[in-house]
Amino acid sequence: MSTFIARRCAFALVTLWAVLTLVFFIVRVVPGDPAQVILGEQATADAIAAMRTRLGLDRPLGVQYVEFLWGALRGDWGVSLVTGRPVVQEVLAVLPWTIELTLAALVIGAAAGIPLGVWAAVNRNRATDYVIRLASLLGLSFPAFVSGILLLIFFAIQLRWAPVMSTQGGSFSAWLGALALPAINLGLIMAAYITRVTRSAMLEVLGEDYVRTARAKGVPWRAVVWRHALRNALIPIITIVGLYLGVLIGNSVLTEIVFNRPGLGKLIVGALNQRDYTLLQGMMVIYTFVVIIVNLLTDLAYGAADPRVKLK
Amino acid sequence: MGWWKAAALAAAVMLVPAAASAQQTTLRIGIASADAGVLDPHLNSTTPGRGFLQHIFSGLVRLRPGELSPENMEPDLAERWESSADGRTWTFHLRRGAQCHHGFGEFTAEDAVFSLRRAATRETSAFSSDYTAFDSVEAVDSHTVRITLKNNIPSLLGVVMNYAGGFMVCKAAVEQMGNEGFRRRPIGTGPFAFAEYVPQQFGRLTAHEGYFRGAPQIREIMYRFVPSDAARDLAFQSGELDMIYGRQDQNWFTRTRALPNVRVVAMQPAEMSVIHLNMTMPPLNDIRVRQAIAHALNRDQVVQLRGRDTSVAAESVVPRGYQGHAAMPLPPHDIARARALLAEAGHPNGITIRSIHTTLTGMMTVMEAAQAQLRRAGITLEITPVEHATFHQQIRQNLSQVVHFQAARFPVADIYLTQFFHSRSIVQTPTAVTNFSHCRVADEQIDAARSETDAARRNALWREAQERIVAEVCGIPIYEQLQLWAYRDSIELGYELRAALNLAPPILHTTRFTR
Repeated sequence: MSTFIARRCAFALVTLWAVLTLVFFIVRVVPGDPAQVILGEQATADAIAAMRTRLGLDRPLGVQYVEFLWGALRGDWGVSLVTGRPVVQEVLAVLPWTIELTLAALVIGAAAGIPLGVWAAVNRNRATDYVIRLASLLGLSFPAFVSGILLLIFFAIQLRWAPVMSTQGGSFSAWLGALALPAINLGLIMAAYITRVTRSAMLEVLGEDYVRTARAKGVPWRAVVWRHALRNALIPIITIVGLYLGVLIGNSVLTEIVFNRPGLGKLIVGALNQRDYTLLQGMMVIYTFVVIIVNLLTDLAYGAADPRVKLK
Repeated sequence: MGWWKAAALAAAVMLVPAAASAQQTTLRIGIASADAGVLDPHLNSTTPGRGFLQHIFSGLVRLRPGELSPENMEPDLAERWESSADGRTWTFHLRRGAQCHHGFGEFTAEDAVFSLRRAATRETSAFSSDYTAFDSVEAVDSHTVRITLKNNIPSLLGVVMNYAGGFMVCKAAVEQMGNEGFRRRPIGTGPFAFAEYVPQQFGRLTAHEGYFRGAPQIREIMYRFVPSDAARDLAFQSGELDMIYGRQDQNWFTRTRALPNVRVVAMQPAEMSVIHLNMTMPPLNDIRVRQAIAHALNRDQVVQLRGRDTSVAAESVVPRGYQGHAAMPLPPHDIARARALLAEAGHPNGITIRSIHTTLTGMMTVMEAAQAQLRRAGITLEITPVEHATFHQQIRQNLSQVVHFQAARFPVADIYLTQFFHSRSIVQTPTAVTNFSHCRVADEQIDAARSETDAARRNALWREAQERIVAEVCGIPIYEQLQLWAYRDSIELGYELRAALNLAPPILHTTRFTR
């Protein structure tokens, strides 16, 4: 196990370096000038050139790259080109928001998706199955900003159960109220994914010999489904949850905008629009790091879910 | 406990009153942005940034709240001022006792000199080009500032007022914190002091007790960043916001105006939409082709599309309300005339022209309407949509034959004419600003007007400049988009909101909630 983790950490470092390098060069290749964004549309060409010098953007790309890597190694991610605030401070300010939203969506997605997937599988080609499959298809195809606005109109405007805008601090109930709608909005999409994966994994497992044997030996159907079949169907479900968790962080941007929540997704889009190179670099490191950790945890979860899986 | 009981408990926990209870002294403003940008008044030229910073900083003079014309200047940090007969020496007498926020002491002539020099330095200011006519700025005594000009400029008060480089910073604060530190904790002398800034969420300002006009009645301003139009509207309806920046279209205006206890304002300065034609690129180097395009476009139809309450057809290359604006007849919509001009220019089968255009919806809608109008005259307009930052870079690289640009500027004709139509501002030159058409037909009149001290003669020169630009069809002015805001009628601003140069209603020390 420890060899496995050490090897994965070594791979993670290489992945981080590769992502950093790619991000560094790609953001500079994309058209658009941070100096222009900072100074606005009335700035003269001279003023823009002076700003580029101040930001160090007029130096050779190689020099900028080496300086950036050296800074990264020392944990110095610099300051945002646009706001002048430290990148670490900017990222850390929104990271807790992203983590709580992602985890809450994951819990909702798993809590709804796994039972629905199992239910659909055991009722294959019956009305229940069709309804669940249709609902999951709707969940997958419904744009997050539309469902978000519908949730806001119903729960925040009509019923007044939750605020439109998420706020910082406050009581536990206020926090829960502000988190509930965005988490449901994102969680429903995740539930749709998990439902479909669980259904197909369960269908495969339910056709296995050991399931038939267990039934023949008189094991109650509920125990066969939940104890034997589901346990063996967990690997693909864990895989999709792990993969989707990474995607969720990036995809949460629409939910963050509609519910006016801070978050990594919104910060990335803002930095991209403003060509804030340093902020983009810092965020991509964090994002990559999170994805690597999630993947590592997913691999470890395989072993826990299925003792036949050996991590070497 | 059954699952339904757990669900009921969770729902009960969520049953929180969504709207914050009305706090009569906290004003919650929602703006259409995820961030206010850099919190330095001499660097920030964004709409959300200026709307936020205008409450922290004062100028030596200020525009009377709610007004746009530079004729409505009134004292701010300076209680009076005078200029020499030749208009090149200006003396400002500062009021005594004006305090900088957070205990940084009294604002004196030394602060004013420091601030103006900072605004004139290109390393620390985005507005340094506004101060090129400055010869010297000096403190005559602790409360007297003298500015000497190399040459006359149309509005000296415009560059020392509460706008852009004219925002006065406190010297001790900049020196103590450095420029970087100052951007994280801006210190000025305005009615509200900086308290807190949480990226993507809000900026918080608190009442400045030592404000020289008196302590503000509003005790706190929460400036919420709400980029989604729908979320901002819903938060306003639910009572979580008291004042919002509106979506810039007629539907929003009509719908919001129908809400109870709400005031909706379409205010100046309007952003004027102009289609600039690059006169160096064929076939636009032929004036007959440019005239054909001007005749093919239908301004009234665009105004109908954008909304009668929120926009107005352009009537010159300088927007209404600007000092020196002169209304004049523009080429009328006439398809037959457009086709005839094209045939005369050797293009009987029509032409194809290309435009790199921003993906911003409001602007794109207008360009698509123009595309359809031009097609009727046999002119094919190919639009390449690019993301906004890319648009700004590529149009400055002279890559677009046709540039659709929408802008508001300081309301003096000189600024608009110089930035968009003077040869010094032609893109891809060291002094480039936003002259995309390569227009140079009115340089003489623009320069002469700038140094002219007689108001009537200066206005005549500006009119002549506008007439020459319209005749040459350097750009085709289309319409002017007003700024839309909504606020609760329980807010008494303390002035009639007709205009706000910083594009957000200023909150004064007298602004209050009436209930």
